[in-house]
Amino acid sequence: MRRMLSRTDLDALVRDLLGAGTRVIAPVRRKVQGREFVEYAPVQNPEEIALDGSQPVRPLKQVVFPPTETLFNYKQDKGLVQIQEAPTTFSDTLVIGARPCDAAALEIVDRVMDWDYHDEFWFGHRQATTVVAVACTDSDESCFCTAVGLSPESTRGADWLLIPAGSSFEVRVVTPKGEALLESNKSRCPESDVPEAGKASSAVEEKVRANLAMNPAKLQEWLGAHFEHPLWQKIALRCHGCGACAFVCPTCHCFDIVDELEGVGRGARRRNWDACQPALFTLHGSGHNPRKDQSARFRQRVMHKFSIYPSRFGEILCTGCGRCIRVCAAGMDLIAILAEIGQNAEEAGSTL
Amino acid sequence: MEELRELAKKLLQEKQVNAVVGYECDRRGVRPAFVDDPAGCDRLVFDHRCVQNLPAYLSPRRTNVAGLGRLAVVVKQCDARAVAGLIRESQLKRENLVLIGVRCGGVAANPNESRELGAETLALRCYGCSGTETAMADYVVGEPKTVPAAGGDRDARLAEIEKMSPEERLALWKEWLSRCTRCHACRQVCPMCFCERCVAEKTQPNWIESSPHIQGNFSWNVTRALHLAGRCVDCGECERACPAQIPLGLLNRKLAKIMSARYGFAVTDDPSTPAPIGSYRLDDGQEFIL
Amino acid sequence: MSVPAKEKASSFEPNIVAFVCNWCTYTGADLAGTSRLNMAPNVRIIRLPCTGRIDTLFILKAFERGADGVIVSGCHPADCHYTAGNYHARRRFAVFRELMEFMGVDPQRITFSWVSASEGGKWAEVVNSTTEKVRELGPFVSYPRVAHAQVK
Repeated sequence: MRRMLSRTDLDALVRDLLGAGTRVIAPVRRKVQGREFVEYAPVQNPEEIALDGSQPVRPLKQVVFPPTETLFNYKQDKGLVQIQEAPTTFSDTLVIGARPCDAAALEIVDRVMDWDYHDEFWFGHRQATTVVAVACTDSDESCFCTAVGLSPESTRGADWLLIPAGSSFEVRVVTPKGEALLESNKSRCPESDVPEAGKASSAVEEKVRANLAMNPAKLQEWLGAHFEHPLWQKIALRCHGCGACAFVCPTCHCFDIVDELEGVGRGARRRNWDACQPALFTLHGSGHNPRKDQSARFRQRVMHKFSIYPSRFGEILCTGCGRCIRVCAAGMDLIAILAEIGQNAEEAGSTL
Repeated sequence: MEELRELAKKLLQEKQVNAVVGYECDRRGVRPAFVDDPAGCDRLVFDHRCVQNLPAYLSPRRTNVAGLGRLAVVVKQCDARAVAGLIRESQLKRENLVLIGVRCGGVAANPNESRELGAETLALRCYGCSGTETAMADYVVGEPKTVPAAGGDRDARLAEIEKMSPEERLALWKEWLSRCTRCHACRQVCPMCFCERCVAEKTQPNWIESSPHIQGNFSWNVTRALHLAGRCVDCGECERACPAQIPLGLLNRKLAKIMSARYGFAVTDDPSTPAPIGSYRLDDGQEFIL
Repeated sequence: MSVPAKEKASSFEPNIVAFVCNWCTYTGADLAGTSRLNMAPNVRIIRLPCTGRIDTLFILKAFERGADGVIVSGCHPADCHYTAGNYHARRRFAVFRELMEFMGVDPQRITFSWVSASEGGKWAEVVNSTTEKVRELGPFVSYPRVAHAQVK
């Protein structure tokens, strides 16, 4: 038996939550100086929510990992330093219309955020956030979620997955948090015995599959053995080292911690998004830079995602959302790069 | 296209250069190409999708590109302004470089543009451009082309903002700049942002906070624009690279207007023209000074 | 010479930061003081070698840290101790001012002036007129500042 939710009831659900003071984040349409795009943003009104639009230009990570977050404020007082910790209560948040690739990223990054150190800010936001993903009904030439083990209908990282079916959605409850959301909205999600009306998403999945086929284990093996390879020099020539790829990546999670003075003897410690592509990221105080040029820096990006993270956590640090490809001003194309590495791995002969 | 490929091949075969920087087709459109093998020259293309400003790769901070050795670069007339800028500011020696000037019929706003070039797709910087080759070129390739008519007034969006009240303008910029996540992609893709250490990266003193809060974002974006006053070559790459979709080009365009109105300066591909900031006239306007 | 009239204005006392050159305006301000001219107490002076040393970031930082107005002042044209520092500054400030206006920062909050070492009276006037003007404009709350968390 499937549970269905109409758009009208979804809007009512959102209105209820907004009324209860929950922060609701959803894809909304924007127009800035003639450029039209969709992005995740807080909504005041369910009508703003664009569930059929294109992929939001920036990922969902900003909801649980804000671009800048104050850790504490400090004040110097006659040789003493007073610290005021940032509040660790996080506002209840519901995300409606997360892309499966964005939702999955949250669960993947959980691993490192609870590794040698439990990141209370990340998990604070995570616990306060309920994620309702919507299965993709379209893809473009930059999508490759299927190559990293996901799909346009993946439930990873989501509490609910909505599958568009005509003007309604089929509700798939994934987690206990999702159960709770269903519990309070049962009347809105009636059971229906209408059989599935053919899978729209399998066509999308086919389309995504055509973009890239990849053997992650072989890829990881090749990467592990080819830290030095002319490929890195070749592909990194055109890279500007801007790091836009990392800033729009749902799984990139590096941050920088800074102390900022806000007046005489007082200031704040903040953590900000950072990226491995600019030279400053690894620049030592001595002036030495262990990642001396862009080839070393771009290699790091590929290695971290497809070799280092998998060997440490058994997960690829990539959900195939394709944003890095779409955003790149220099035409760096991760799909083409992975395909080339895959071909190298094929030719090198695998021991697998 | 054949002419370009043959020339590149000749330059490489005769060892006049170690590599040619041009454009090639990729899976989605056109991207920069680095060709160091005569056989690879057949990859080179030039059409209306060749949007990128290749002299950005000539900045001295691109150590990996510098490692290729002597370069030939494919330049449109507008790109040559960046070469001129780098020479003017002693970042580049003209004799170390071979410039292949292309006769450009205008480019699209987007290197993945699948439509023909026309008023709809034409990049803003091509509005009013003659499409002729740069006078700096060592070689010129392609037949003369005409740039399609512009799709309207390039400065319509500027005029719209100028009409607003100061409060509205500040609110608008605060809204736009609050989107900035300080990735500094605008700086990295800019051919004229070549500082070894950017002022935004300095922490002692920390003039511009690196945090993407509105204060740091405002200070950064004002400073980025000001440091490019009279230096910006109007390639539009900053705005195209911005992952936060901030209309950065407006600031650069406004500054170009100020430079033109106050100092009669327009960006050129002549390296001997002095930059307006860094030079002065005794009779410069000072109506705003008590 | 206008004297700040405490009676007519509101209780708002603007914070004004003055960036002045060492050779002309600072000496002029000194003269205004030793001449016992009546000046609004709202202006804090920061002495720099030359107007050419005054980066536009100084002005932004002053606003960020709570200034309601800024004064930039140095040697008259042809009087620069370093020959041309003020000519370079004049171009930079002209451009900065117009860009600020485009971004919605009221240029009235920034006063530029040339005050020589002998113009103590002019300095007092610049201080008083700027203070009055900024007082009328009110506190500069709309400047994009980070919200300060007050540590108790």
